[in-house]
Amino acid sequence: MTALDVKNLTKRYPSFTLDDVSFTLETGKICGLVGANGAGKSTTLKGIMGLIPTEGEVEIFGIPASSPEAKPLVGYAGGGFRFYAQKKVKTLGRVVSTFYPKWSDEIFYGKLKLFGIDAEKKISTLSEGMKVKLSLALALSHGARLLILDEPTSDLDPVSREELCDTLSDLVQTDGVSVLFSTHITSDLSRLADGVVLLANGKVVVRERLETLLQTYSLAEFPSRETAQGLGVKRVGNVFRSLVSRGFVRQGVQVREPSLDEIIVHLEYERRAEK
Amino acid sequence: MTAKLLKKEFALCLHPTCILFLLFSAFVFIPNYPYEVMFFFSGLSVFFVCLTGRENGDLTFSCTLPVRKQDVAVARVLFCNILQVALLVLAGLMTAIKECCLPEAAQVNMAGTTANLAFLGYGAILLGAFNLIFFPMYFKNSARVGIPFVVAAAVQFVIIALLVVLRFASPAYAEIFCAPDNYFAVEKAAVFIVGIVFYAGATIFSAYLSARIFKKTDL
Repeated sequence: MTALDVKNLTKRYPSFTLDDVSFTLETGKICGLVGANGAGKSTTLKGIMGLIPTEGEVEIFGIPASSPEAKPLVGYAGGGFRFYAQKKVKTLGRVVSTFYPKWSDEIFYGKLKLFGIDAEKKISTLSEGMKVKLSLALALSHGARLLILDEPTSDLDPVSREELCDTLSDLVQTDGVSVLFSTHITSDLSRLADGVVLLANGKVVVRERLETLLQTYSLAEFPSRETAQGLGVKRVGNVFRSLVSRGFVRQGVQVREPSLDEIIVHLEYERRAEK
Repeated sequence: MTAKLLKKEFALCLHPTCILFLLFSAFVFIPNYPYEVMFFFSGLSVFFVCLTGRENGDLTFSCTLPVRKQDVAVARVLFCNILQVALLVLAGLMTAIKECCLPEAAQVNMAGTTANLAFLGYGAILLGAFNLIFFPMYFKNSARVGIPFVVAAAVQFVIIALLVVLRFASPAYAEIFCAPDNYFAVEKAAVFIVGIVFYAGATIFSAYLSARIFKKTDL
Protein backbone atom coordinates (compact mmCIF):
# COMPACT_ATOMS: atom_id res chain seq x y z
CA MET A 1 0.00 0.00 0.00
CA THR A 2 1.15 3.52 -0.71
CA ALA A 3 1.72 5.57 2.44
CA LEU A 4 2.36 8.80 0.60
CA ASP A 5 1.60 9.78 -2.96
CA VAL A 6 2.81 13.19 -4.08
CA LYS A 7 1.64 14.27 -7.53
CA ASN A 8 2.82 17.39 -9.32
CA LEU A 9 3.45 19.38 -6.16
CA THR A 10 4.21 22.91 -7.27
CA LYS A 11 4.91 26.07 -5.32
CA ARG A 12 5.91 29.33 -6.94
CA TYR A 13 7.92 32.01 -5.15
CA PRO A 14 9.30 35.10 -6.88
CA SER A 15 12.81 33.65 -6.90
CA PHE A 16 12.21 29.91 -6.61
CA THR A 17 9.77 27.35 -7.94
CA LEU A 18 9.12 23.91 -6.57
CA ASP A 19 8.36 22.38 -9.91
CA ASP A 20 6.06 19.41 -10.42
CA VAL A 21 7.48 17.27 -7.65
CA SER A 22 6.08 13.72 -7.75
CA PHE A 23 7.06 10.61 -5.82
CA THR A 24 5.56 7.83 -3.74
CA LEU A 25 6.48 6.16 -0.48
CA GLU A 26 5.38 2.61 0.19
CA THR A 27 4.12 1.49 3.59
CA GLY A 28 6.85 0.40 6.00
CA LYS A 29 9.62 2.05 3.99
CA ILE A 30 11.99 4.93 4.67
CA CYS A 31 12.56 7.52 1.99
CA GLY A 32 15.20 10.21 2.12
CA LEU A 33 14.62 13.57 0.53
CA VAL A 34 18.01 14.99 -0.35
CA GLY A 35 19.41 17.98 -2.14
CA ALA A 36 21.62 21.00 -1.66
CA ASN A 37 20.55 23.91 0.55
CA GLY A 38 17.67 25.69 -1.15
CA ALA A 39 16.83 22.71 -3.37
CA GLY A 40 13.26 22.65 -2.05
CA LYS A 41 13.33 19.90 0.59
CA SER A 42 11.59 21.87 3.34
CA THR A 43 9.18 23.42 0.83
CA THR A 44 8.20 19.93 -0.31
CA LEU A 45 7.61 18.73 3.23
CA LYS A 46 5.66 21.87 4.14
CA GLY A 47 3.59 21.45 1.00
CA ILE A 48 2.78 17.86 1.97
CA MET A 49 1.75 19.03 5.44
CA GLY A 50 -0.37 21.87 4.05
CA LEU A 51 1.70 24.48 5.87
CA ILE A 52 2.03 26.37 2.60
CA PRO A 53 -0.59 26.58 -0.14
CA THR A 54 0.54 24.57 -3.17
CA GLU A 55 -0.70 23.21 -6.46
CA GLY A 56 -0.82 19.46 -7.04
CA GLU A 57 -2.15 16.51 -5.10
CA VAL A 58 -0.98 14.78 -1.96
CA GLU A 59 -2.57 11.57 -0.70
CA ILE A 60 -1.80 9.89 2.60
CA PHE A 61 -2.81 6.24 2.66
CA GLY A 62 -5.15 7.04 -0.21
CA ILE A 63 -6.81 9.96 1.60
CA PRO A 64 -6.33 13.54 0.35
CA ALA A 65 -3.84 15.18 2.72
CA SER A 66 -6.12 18.19 3.18
CA SER A 67 -8.96 16.11 4.62
CA PRO A 68 -9.34 15.94 8.43
CA GLU A 69 -9.04 12.13 8.32
CA ALA A 70 -5.52 12.29 6.91
CA LYS A 71 -3.79 14.45 9.52
CA PRO A 72 -4.02 12.00 12.45
CA LEU A 73 -2.17 9.49 10.27
CA VAL A 74 0.83 11.80 10.04
CA GLY A 75 3.44 12.87 12.56
CA TYR A 76 5.47 15.91 11.54
CA ALA A 77 8.58 17.36 13.07
CA GLY A 78 9.95 20.48 11.44
CA GLY A 79 13.48 21.77 11.58
CA GLY A 80 14.65 23.13 14.91
CA PHE A 81 12.16 21.31 17.15
CA ARG A 82 11.67 24.45 19.23
CA PHE A 83 8.08 23.94 20.25
CA TYR A 84 7.14 25.45 23.63
CA ALA A 85 10.58 25.32 25.23
CA GLN A 86 9.35 26.48 28.64
CA LYS A 87 6.57 23.91 28.93
CA LYS A 88 6.88 20.50 30.49
CA VAL A 89 6.88 17.40 28.31
CA LYS A 90 3.74 16.09 30.00
CA THR A 91 1.92 19.41 29.45
CA LEU A 92 2.59 19.23 25.72
CA GLY A 93 1.44 15.60 25.70
CA ARG A 94 -1.75 16.47 27.58
CA VAL A 95 -2.61 19.30 25.17
CA VAL A 96 -1.85 17.31 22.03
CA SER A 97 -3.85 14.32 23.31
CA THR A 98 -7.10 16.32 23.21
CA PHE A 99 -6.90 16.60 19.42
CA TYR A 100 -6.68 12.89 18.70
CA PRO A 101 -9.44 10.39 19.45
CA LYS A 102 -6.97 7.51 19.16
CA TRP A 103 -4.43 9.04 21.53
CA SER A 104 -2.88 6.54 23.95
CA ASP A 105 -1.27 7.75 27.18
CA GLU A 106 0.13 4.26 27.55
CA ILE A 107 2.01 4.54 24.27
CA PHE A 108 3.10 8.12 25.02
CA TYR A 109 4.59 7.41 28.42
CA GLY A 110 5.89 4.07 27.17
CA LYS A 111 7.78 5.74 24.34
CA LEU A 112 9.06 8.49 26.66
CA LYS A 113 10.44 5.79 28.93
CA LEU A 114 11.93 3.94 25.98
CA PHE A 115 13.61 7.13 24.72
CA GLY A 116 14.75 8.13 28.22
CA ILE A 117 12.69 11.34 28.35
CA ASP A 118 11.48 12.57 31.74
CA ALA A 119 7.87 13.79 31.38
CA GLU A 120 8.38 16.27 34.22
CA LYS A 121 11.22 18.05 32.44
CA LYS A 122 10.87 21.28 30.53
CA ILE A 123 11.31 20.87 26.78
CA SER A 124 14.16 23.41 26.83
CA THR A 125 16.23 21.06 28.99
CA LEU A 126 16.07 18.24 26.44
CA SER A 127 18.94 17.70 24.04
CA GLU A 128 18.25 18.18 20.33
CA GLY A 129 18.14 14.42 19.86
CA MET A 130 15.64 14.06 22.71
CA LYS A 131 13.45 16.77 21.16
CA VAL A 132 13.26 14.82 17.92
CA LYS A 133 12.42 11.69 19.89
CA LEU A 134 9.71 13.62 21.75
CA SER A 135 8.20 14.50 18.36
CA LEU A 136 8.28 10.80 17.49
CA ALA A 137 6.64 9.87 20.82
CA LEU A 138 3.86 12.41 20.21
CA ALA A 139 3.29 11.14 16.68
CA LEU A 140 3.20 7.47 17.64
CA SER A 141 0.86 8.14 20.56
CA HIS A 142 -1.85 9.44 18.26
CA GLY A 143 -1.45 6.51 15.92
CA ALA A 144 0.56 8.19 13.15
CA ARG A 145 1.50 5.73 10.42
CA LEU A 146 3.61 8.15 8.44
CA LEU A 147 6.40 10.24 9.93
CA ILE A 148 7.52 13.34 8.05
CA LEU A 149 10.74 14.73 9.45
CA ASP A 150 12.50 17.84 8.24
CA GLU A 151 16.25 17.39 8.76
CA PRO A 152 15.88 15.46 12.01
CA THR A 153 19.59 14.72 12.29
CA SER A 154 21.09 18.02 11.22
CA ASP A 155 21.65 19.47 14.73
CA LEU A 156 22.80 16.23 16.29
CA ASP A 157 26.24 15.01 17.27
CA PRO A 158 27.37 11.71 15.70
CA VAL A 159 26.33 9.59 18.69
CA SER A 160 22.86 11.16 18.92
CA ARG A 161 22.51 10.81 15.16
CA GLU A 162 23.33 7.14 15.36
CA GLU A 163 20.82 6.69 18.19
CA LEU A 164 18.10 8.47 16.25
CA CYS A 165 18.78 6.39 13.16
CA ASP A 166 18.48 3.26 15.32
CA THR A 167 15.22 4.56 16.75
CA LEU A 168 13.74 5.27 13.33
CA SER A 169 14.87 1.92 12.07
CA ASP A 170 13.29 0.18 15.08
CA LEU A 171 10.04 2.08 14.63
CA VAL A 172 9.76 0.90 11.05
CA GLN A 173 10.47 -2.67 12.14
CA THR A 174 8.30 -2.80 15.26
CA ASP A 175 5.54 -0.26 14.62
CA GLY A 176 5.38 -0.59 10.84
CA VAL A 177 5.47 3.16 10.26
CA SER A 178 6.66 4.78 7.05
CA VAL A 179 9.18 7.62 7.18
CA LEU A 180 9.94 10.49 4.84
CA PHE A 181 12.83 12.58 6.02
CA SER A 182 14.86 15.34 4.47
CA THR A 183 18.56 15.48 5.07
CA HIS A 184 21.85 16.51 3.59
CA ILE A 185 23.75 14.00 5.68
CA THR A 186 23.93 11.16 3.22
CA SER A 187 25.49 8.71 5.65
CA ASP A 188 22.10 8.67 7.41
CA LEU A 189 20.47 7.87 4.11
CA SER A 190 22.86 5.04 3.34
CA ARG A 191 22.19 3.67 6.79
CA LEU A 192 18.40 4.00 6.80
CA ALA A 193 16.68 4.70 3.54
CA ASP A 194 15.03 2.30 1.15
CA GLY A 195 14.50 5.01 -1.41
CA VAL A 196 15.92 8.39 -2.35
CA VAL A 197 14.36 11.46 -3.90
CA LEU A 198 17.02 13.90 -5.02
CA LEU A 199 15.89 17.48 -5.50
CA ALA A 200 17.86 20.14 -7.31
CA ASN A 201 16.61 23.67 -7.80
CA GLY A 202 13.02 22.65 -7.04
CA LYS A 203 12.93 19.67 -9.40
CA VAL A 204 13.15 15.94 -8.84
CA VAL A 205 16.44 14.80 -10.39
CA VAL A 206 16.46 11.25 -9.09
CA ARG A 207 13.64 9.15 -7.69
CA GLU A 208 14.98 5.70 -7.10
CA ARG A 209 15.42 2.80 -4.73
CA LEU A 210 18.70 3.37 -2.91
CA GLU A 211 20.05 -0.02 -3.88
CA THR A 212 19.22 0.55 -7.55
CA LEU A 213 20.75 4.02 -7.50
CA LEU A 214 23.99 2.72 -6.03
CA GLN A 215 24.13 -0.05 -8.64
CA THR A 216 23.41 2.28 -11.56
CA TYR A 217 26.68 4.18 -11.55
CA SER A 218 30.41 3.74 -11.19
CA LEU A 219 32.91 6.46 -10.40
CA ALA A 220 35.61 6.87 -13.03
CA GLU A 221 38.86 8.79 -12.70
CA PHE A 222 40.16 10.18 -15.99
CA PRO A 223 43.68 11.59 -16.40
CA SER A 224 42.54 14.69 -18.33
CA ARG A 225 39.39 16.73 -19.00
CA GLU A 226 39.61 15.93 -22.72
CA THR A 227 39.40 12.21 -22.13
CA ALA A 228 36.78 12.48 -19.36
CA GLN A 229 33.26 11.39 -20.09
CA GLY A 230 30.14 10.61 -18.09
CA LEU A 231 28.05 12.73 -15.77
CA GLY A 232 29.24 15.69 -13.74
CA VAL A 233 32.92 15.79 -14.66
CA LYS A 234 34.80 17.36 -11.78
CA ARG A 235 38.48 17.91 -11.07
CA VAL A 236 39.71 16.25 -7.88
CA GLY A 237 43.45 16.68 -7.36
CA ASN A 238 45.20 15.57 -10.55
CA VAL A 239 42.32 13.54 -11.94
CA PHE A 240 38.88 14.22 -13.38
CA ARG A 241 36.08 12.27 -11.81
CA SER A 242 32.68 11.55 -13.26
CA LEU A 243 29.80 9.14 -12.95
CA VAL A 244 29.71 6.48 -15.62
CA SER A 245 27.38 3.56 -16.21
CA ARG A 246 28.02 0.43 -14.24
CA GLY A 247 30.25 -1.86 -16.32
CA PHE A 248 32.23 0.97 -17.90
CA VAL A 249 35.75 -0.14 -18.75
CA ARG A 250 38.53 1.80 -20.42
CA GLN A 251 42.26 1.34 -20.35
CA GLY A 252 44.03 3.79 -18.06
CA VAL A 253 40.80 4.78 -16.31
CA GLN A 254 40.26 3.69 -12.74
CA VAL A 255 36.69 2.72 -11.93
CA ARG A 256 35.20 2.05 -8.51
CA GLU A 257 31.86 2.02 -6.69
CA PRO A 258 30.73 5.53 -5.76
CA SER A 259 29.33 6.56 -2.40
CA LEU A 260 25.86 8.09 -2.27
CA ASP A 261 27.50 11.43 -1.55
CA GLU A 262 29.55 11.17 -4.73
CA ILE A 263 26.53 10.23 -6.83
CA ILE A 264 24.60 13.24 -5.51
CA VAL A 265 27.53 15.62 -6.03
CA HIS A 266 28.20 14.49 -9.61
CA LEU A 267 24.52 14.56 -10.56
CA GLU A 268 24.34 18.12 -9.21
CA TYR A 269 27.46 19.09 -11.24
CA GLU A 270 25.91 17.57 -14.34
CA ARG A 271 22.71 19.54 -13.80
CA ARG A 272 24.67 22.77 -13.39
CA ALA A 273 26.72 22.05 -16.52
CA GLU A 274 23.53 21.47 -18.52
CA LYS A 275 22.16 24.74 -17.21
CA MET B 1 -12.27 21.96 17.37
CA THR B 2 -12.07 25.66 18.27
CA ALA B 3 -12.61 24.71 21.94
CA LYS B 4 -9.62 22.37 21.78
CA LEU B 5 -7.50 25.05 20.15
CA LEU B 6 -8.59 27.51 22.84
CA LYS B 7 -7.53 25.03 25.49
CA LYS B 8 -4.17 24.77 23.72
CA GLU B 9 -3.88 28.58 23.68
CA PHE B 10 -4.42 28.76 27.44
CA ALA B 11 -2.12 25.82 28.21
CA LEU B 12 0.76 26.67 25.88
CA CYS B 13 0.48 30.29 24.74
CA LEU B 14 -0.73 32.31 27.73
CA HIS B 15 2.00 34.83 28.52
CA PRO B 16 2.35 35.91 32.19
CA THR B 17 1.79 39.54 31.20
CA CYS B 18 -1.73 38.64 30.06
CA ILE B 19 -2.72 38.13 33.71
CA LEU B 20 -0.55 40.96 35.01
CA PHE B 21 -2.02 43.48 32.57
CA LEU B 22 -5.57 42.45 33.50
CA LEU B 23 -4.76 43.81 36.96
CA PHE B 24 -4.15 47.20 35.32
CA SER B 25 -7.94 47.54 35.35
CA ALA B 26 -7.31 48.88 38.86
CA PHE B 27 -5.75 51.97 37.22
CA VAL B 28 -9.17 53.60 37.58
CA PHE B 29 -8.38 54.15 41.25
CA ILE B 30 -5.38 56.34 40.42
CA PRO B 31 -6.46 59.98 40.72
CA ASN B 32 -6.20 62.02 37.51
CA TYR B 33 -4.62 59.46 35.18
CA PRO B 34 -5.18 58.58 31.51
CA TYR B 35 -7.05 55.37 32.24
CA GLU B 36 -7.22 54.43 28.54
CA VAL B 37 -3.60 53.21 28.65
CA MET B 38 -4.83 49.98 30.24
CA PHE B 39 -6.21 49.11 26.79
CA PHE B 40 -2.81 49.74 25.26
CA PHE B 41 -1.32 47.28 27.75
CA SER B 42 -3.95 44.76 26.70
CA GLY B 43 -2.60 45.05 23.16
CA LEU B 44 0.91 44.67 24.53
CA SER B 45 -0.02 41.35 26.14
CA VAL B 46 -1.43 40.16 22.79
CA PHE B 47 1.89 41.19 21.24
CA PHE B 48 3.77 39.12 23.83
CA VAL B 49 1.54 36.11 23.16
CA CYS B 50 2.29 36.34 19.44
CA LEU B 51 5.98 37.06 19.97
CA THR B 52 6.55 34.03 22.22
CA GLY B 53 4.34 32.07 19.85
CA ARG B 54 6.76 32.90 17.07
CA GLU B 55 9.75 31.80 19.19
CA ASN B 56 7.95 28.56 20.04
CA GLY B 57 6.94 27.80 16.45
CA ASP B 58 3.36 27.86 17.72
CA LEU B 59 1.48 28.52 14.49
CA THR B 60 3.39 25.82 12.61
CA PHE B 61 2.86 23.35 15.43
CA SER B 62 -0.85 24.18 15.60
CA CYS B 63 -1.25 23.72 11.85
CA THR B 64 0.20 20.21 12.06
CA LEU B 65 -2.61 19.26 14.45
CA PRO B 66 -5.78 17.84 12.90
CA VAL B 67 -7.42 21.24 12.48
CA ARG B 68 -8.04 23.55 9.55
CA LYS B 69 -5.43 26.26 9.10
CA GLN B 70 -8.06 28.98 9.35
CA ASP B 71 -9.31 27.59 12.70
CA VAL B 72 -5.87 28.29 14.15
CA ALA B 73 -6.25 31.98 13.29
CA VAL B 74 -9.80 32.18 14.63
CA ALA B 75 -8.77 30.49 17.89
CA ARG B 76 -5.94 32.98 18.42
CA VAL B 77 -8.29 35.94 17.88
CA LEU B 78 -10.86 34.34 20.19
CA PHE B 79 -8.25 33.69 22.85
CA CYS B 80 -7.19 37.34 22.84
CA ASN B 81 -10.86 38.28 22.70
CA ILE B 82 -11.45 36.44 26.00
CA LEU B 83 -8.59 38.37 27.62
CA GLN B 84 -9.98 41.66 26.31
CA VAL B 85 -13.50 40.94 27.52
CA ALA B 86 -12.05 39.98 30.90
CA LEU B 87 -10.28 43.37 30.99
CA LEU B 88 -13.50 45.20 30.10
CA VAL B 89 -15.44 43.31 32.77
CA LEU B 90 -12.75 43.97 35.38
CA ALA B 91 -12.55 47.64 34.38
CA GLY B 92 -16.34 47.83 34.71
CA LEU B 93 -16.18 46.20 38.10
CA MET B 94 -13.45 48.54 39.31
CA THR B 95 -15.39 51.54 37.95
CA ALA B 96 -18.52 50.41 39.80
CA ILE B 97 -16.56 49.95 43.03
CA LYS B 98 -14.97 53.38 42.60
CA GLU B 99 -18.36 55.00 42.00
CA CYS B 100 -19.77 53.31 45.10
CA CYS B 101 -16.86 54.08 47.38
CA LEU B 102 -15.52 57.49 46.41
CA PRO B 103 -17.26 60.87 46.61
CA GLU B 104 -18.30 62.34 43.27
CA ALA B 105 -15.56 64.96 43.29
CA ALA B 106 -12.91 62.26 43.58
CA GLN B 107 -14.42 60.31 40.72
CA VAL B 108 -13.84 63.02 38.12
CA ASN B 109 -10.61 62.55 36.17
CA MET B 110 -8.81 65.83 35.54
CA ALA B 111 -6.24 64.18 33.26
CA GLY B 112 -8.60 62.58 30.76
CA THR B 113 -11.78 60.54 30.55
CA THR B 114 -13.48 59.81 33.86
CA ALA B 115 -13.99 56.14 34.66
CA ASN B 116 -17.65 55.70 33.74
CA LEU B 117 -19.83 53.89 31.21
CA ALA B 118 -18.58 56.06 28.34
CA PHE B 119 -14.99 55.23 29.31
CA LEU B 120 -15.81 51.51 29.00
CA GLY B 121 -17.33 52.21 25.58
CA TYR B 122 -14.15 54.00 24.52
CA GLY B 123 -12.14 51.07 25.86
CA ALA B 124 -14.18 48.70 23.70
CA ILE B 125 -13.53 50.93 20.67
CA LEU B 126 -9.78 50.96 21.43
CA LEU B 127 -9.70 47.17 21.71
CA GLY B 128 -11.81 46.72 18.58
CA ALA B 129 -9.52 49.05 16.61
CA PHE B 130 -6.51 47.08 17.83
CA ASN B 131 -8.05 43.78 16.71
CA LEU B 132 -9.06 45.15 13.34
CA ILE B 133 -5.51 46.27 12.56
CA PHE B 134 -3.27 43.85 14.43
CA PHE B 135 -4.58 40.38 13.59
CA PRO B 136 -4.97 40.58 9.79
CA MET B 137 -1.48 42.11 9.55
CA TYR B 138 -0.03 39.52 11.93
CA PHE B 139 -1.52 36.56 10.09
CA LYS B 140 -0.22 37.87 6.78
CA ASN B 141 3.33 37.46 8.07
CA SER B 142 3.53 36.00 11.56
CA ALA B 143 7.32 36.34 11.60
CA ARG B 144 6.95 40.13 11.79
CA VAL B 145 4.96 40.63 14.97
CA GLY B 146 6.37 44.06 15.77
CA ILE B 147 5.03 46.00 12.80
CA PRO B 148 1.34 45.09 13.30
CA PHE B 149 1.69 45.96 16.98
CA VAL B 150 3.32 49.35 16.32
CA VAL B 151 0.65 50.26 13.75
CA ALA B 152 -2.25 49.09 15.97
CA ALA B 153 -0.80 50.80 19.06
CA ALA B 154 -0.25 54.01 17.08
CA VAL B 155 -3.92 54.06 16.09
CA GLN B 156 -4.87 53.43 19.72
CA PHE B 157 -2.74 56.40 20.83
CA VAL B 158 -4.34 58.64 18.20
CA ILE B 159 -7.79 57.73 19.55
CA ILE B 160 -6.62 58.23 23.15
CA ALA B 161 -5.11 61.62 22.22
CA LEU B 162 -8.37 62.61 20.54
CA LEU B 163 -10.33 61.74 23.69
CA VAL B 164 -7.94 63.72 25.90
CA VAL B 165 -8.07 66.73 23.55
CA LEU B 166 -11.88 66.57 23.48
CA ARG B 167 -11.91 66.47 27.27
CA PHE B 168 -10.19 69.85 27.44
CA ALA B 169 -11.24 71.43 24.14
CA SER B 170 -14.98 70.92 24.49
CA PRO B 171 -16.60 71.88 27.82
CA ALA B 172 -19.91 70.39 26.65
CA TYR B 173 -18.25 67.05 25.92
CA ALA B 174 -16.45 67.13 29.26
CA GLU B 175 -19.65 67.94 31.10
CA ILE B 176 -21.56 65.06 29.56
CA PHE B 177 -18.99 62.29 29.11
CA CYS B 178 -16.48 63.01 31.85
CA ALA B 179 -18.99 63.29 34.64
CA PRO B 180 -19.78 60.37 36.98
CA ASP B 181 -22.46 57.95 35.80
CA ASN B 182 -25.16 59.65 37.87
CA TYR B 183 -25.21 62.45 35.30
CA PHE B 184 -26.07 62.09 31.59
CA ALA B 185 -26.39 58.35 32.04
CA VAL B 186 -28.30 57.88 28.77
CA GLU B 187 -25.61 59.60 26.70
CA LYS B 188 -22.88 57.58 28.36
CA ALA B 189 -24.85 54.36 27.98
CA ALA B 190 -25.19 55.17 24.26
CA VAL B 191 -21.41 55.51 23.95
CA PHE B 192 -21.01 52.24 25.84
CA ILE B 193 -23.41 50.42 23.51
CA VAL B 194 -21.77 51.91 20.41
CA GLY B 195 -18.39 50.82 21.78
CA ILE B 196 -19.52 47.25 22.45
CA VAL B 197 -21.18 46.97 19.02
CA PHE B 198 -18.03 48.35 17.36
CA TYR B 199 -15.85 45.96 19.34
CA ALA B 200 -17.97 42.94 18.44
CA GLY B 201 -18.15 43.91 14.76
CA ALA B 202 -14.46 44.76 14.47
CA THR B 203 -13.40 41.57 16.23
CA ILE B 204 -15.66 39.31 14.15
CA PHE B 205 -14.48 40.99 10.95
CA SER B 206 -10.88 40.74 12.13
CA ALA B 207 -11.27 37.00 12.81
CA TYR B 208 -12.89 36.47 9.41
CA LEU B 209 -10.17 38.44 7.62
CA SER B 210 -7.38 36.77 9.61
CA ALA B 211 -8.69 33.29 8.76
CA ARG B 212 -8.87 34.12 5.06
CA ILE B 213 -5.39 35.64 5.04
CA PHE B 214 -3.81 32.90 7.13
CA LYS B 215 -5.19 30.17 4.87
CA LYS B 216 -3.08 31.59 2.04
CA THR B 217 -0.01 32.37 4.17
CA ASP B 218 3.23 30.39 3.93
CA LEU B 219 4.54 29.04 7.22
